[in-house]
Amino acid sequence: MLATDLLISARNLARHTRRNLFLGGAIALVTALLVLLGGLTAGIREAMLDSATTIMTGHVNVGGFYKITSGMAGALVTRYPEVLADVRRHVPELSFVAVRGRGYAKAVADTGSMNLVLAGIDVAAEPRFREVVQLQAGSLDALREPGTILLFEDQAKRLGVGVGDAFTLSAPTARGVNNTADVRVVAVAKSVGLLSSFHAFVPAGEIRRLYQLRADNTGALHLFLRNPAQAARVAARLRDDLAHDGWKVMDADPQPYWQKFQRVNSEDWTGQRLDVTTWEDELSFLTWILSALQGLTGLLATVLMVIVVVGIMNTLWIAIRERTREIGTLRAIGMQRRKVLWLFVLEAALLAVLGTAAGALLGWGVAAAVNRVHVAVPTAVQFFLMQRHLTLSLHGLTVLRDAGGIALVTTLAAFYPARRAARLEPVTAMHHIG
Amino acid sequence: MTRPRLALAFALLALAPLAARALSPEEVRRVVKTVDERQRNAGDWRSLCYMEAKEKDKSDVVYELTVFRRSSDQKFMLLFDKPRSEQGKGYLRIEKNLWFYDPGVGRWERRTERERIGGTDTRRGDLDESRLAEEYDAVWEGDGKLGAYQVHRLLLTVKPGVDVAFPQIRLWVDQATHNVLKRQELALSGKLMRTSLYPRWKKLHSESKKGDVWFPEEMRFYDEIEKANQTLILVRSVDLRALDPNLFTKAWLEAKSR
Repeated sequence: MLATDLLISARNLARHTRRNLFLGGAIALVTALLVLLGGLTAGIREAMLDSATTIMTGHVNVGGFYKITSGMAGALVTRYPEVLADVRRHVPELSFVAVRGRGYAKAVADTGSMNLVLAGIDVAAEPRFREVVQLQAGSLDALREPGTILLFEDQAKRLGVGVGDAFTLSAPTARGVNNTADVRVVAVAKSVGLLSSFHAFVPAGEIRRLYQLRADNTGALHLFLRNPAQAARVAARLRDDLAHDGWKVMDADPQPYWQKFQRVNSEDWTGQRLDVTTWEDELSFLTWILSALQGLTGLLATVLMVIVVVGIMNTLWIAIRERTREIGTLRAIGMQRRKVLWLFVLEAALLAVLGTAAGALLGWGVAAAVNRVHVAVPTAVQFFLMQRHLTLSLHGLTVLRDAGGIALVTTLAAFYPARRAARLEPVTAMHHIG
Repeated sequence: MTRPRLALAFALLALAPLAARALSPEEVRRVVKTVDERQRNAGDWRSLCYMEAKEKDKSDVVYELTVFRRSSDQKFMLLFDKPRSEQGKGYLRIEKNLWFYDPGVGRWERRTERERIGGTDTRRGDLDESRLAEEYDAVWEGDGKLGAYQVHRLLLTVKPGVDVAFPQIRLWVDQATHNVLKRQELALSGKLMRTSLYPRWKKLHSESKKGDVWFPEEMRFYDEIEKANQTLILVRSVDLRALDPNLFTKAWLEAKSR
């Protein structure tokens, strides 16, 4: 029965080829556009996760603050080997851990200066770092030597330095005493957007020397999970587990650690407090980019859907007007109102499914082509998109969800005119001259 | 003794008075104590300061601020008067904590005592009473001339357990007046970070001290890391009369911006 109904709907669609091609094309274009916008948002999100989890955060982080006096906080985890042992015990989902020093210093070269967020790294212990950070010049292995630094290309340009050049890092220690370290640039990496504009890497020992830290102190433990989607759940559980083990743990606060200094300094406590965060917390200062893009996508989708809904309703009105006598005849030979309604809705649904399927395929094709030709992102836009080449990330389920949503809205839009058609009295309809 | 050797011995004897005599540790301590003592007020202090900061690739900024001090309990407060964008902002030291108030957000923030005042190269210590003898151990490095002045050059190293911005300081102290004419501040790494010059000193009679209080009327700070950065401070309208007992409170500073 359904097959017969579908056949009737398909024939009706085919009878008005031009009109339906135009409407189906519009649905396809809207679908393709939404699929591409979704791919762009997902691409940025994935690029953000990829670069952020290499540069500044794990999927889950165990960081914290150590306060010598209540007004002087340092981003430190003291006795980190003990913390690490507890973390390993409590997180079976763990893939690997990176121990990172954290610091903030003024970099002063002969021709320029800038503030840098420093990460103390053991390059030998972080193979993923080598995969993600692409060098423009120099060697990553040299970053094992003391007194060295890895800069990103924009930083090197701003400081006016290259591989082999030296400059000074100046920062107060955890006790507020001024200290300096002369470092030599051993590697310059290609920029990866906003994060690489202020992050630089030094050997972990250099952070300890600059900030006068003990060997069992570090900045944070970056935990990488086998499934990053579990980050929020693992972080919440770890927070409770560490507190249960006797560690003082800060309440959940979805902000990056460097935005917490002001609040922590104003609180009346001293000693160590651990802070468990997720990568999304540490990147919350960037989520406006994704929110803006999602907002734009939503706005565009709404406008386009209104146009499609108006189009489909209008087309069906025309179809009903043209086929009023036919409807009258069908009703006169015994077709129920419900059946008339069903046929018109099915016709619209068929058009919507065909249109969205074509649009999804078109979007997929365009995305694949864009990814293949490596469209260069302008430098200014790279800062926000965190991509050097435009990458659209499409996932089958997401595309199916978007296409299904458009098909559903289109079908629902047909419901009202179809209902009007079904309500026509057979005698009136048969006498209709149109 | 051969004739040339005899001549050399005479020559050395003749030059001996010209060579600088090393100050004994006790003498060095006395010099540093005198430096502090001459600036000590033993009462209240109010002064107007003009602070001009020059930074590389930035436009110059000029601040006008009022400094309040009370020696008895080491109270200290700064109130920014100009420019308009900074008006009402202030620093207040309560016990060992330095608090910063911004009327724009109406909130107090705890800051480190070694905070750069207004983001310039000036520290709280530059505007506070000198406590060198309390915070540092000094050794004599040599005597010499600084311009037209005969000076002692001393190297001060922070005492264990004391928190200061610079762990080592080199001072050029005028032998005649015991005023500091030049000061170099070194980082933990030993790198020179800041050079300060104090070209003009002035004195005022203090009733509370029953003596003279000396203060540098002009201070020039040169950033030795970022060579182009420098700050000039002029101290004017010093008033040593007793201040309102309730002055050093958060409420007082907040009220000034209403």
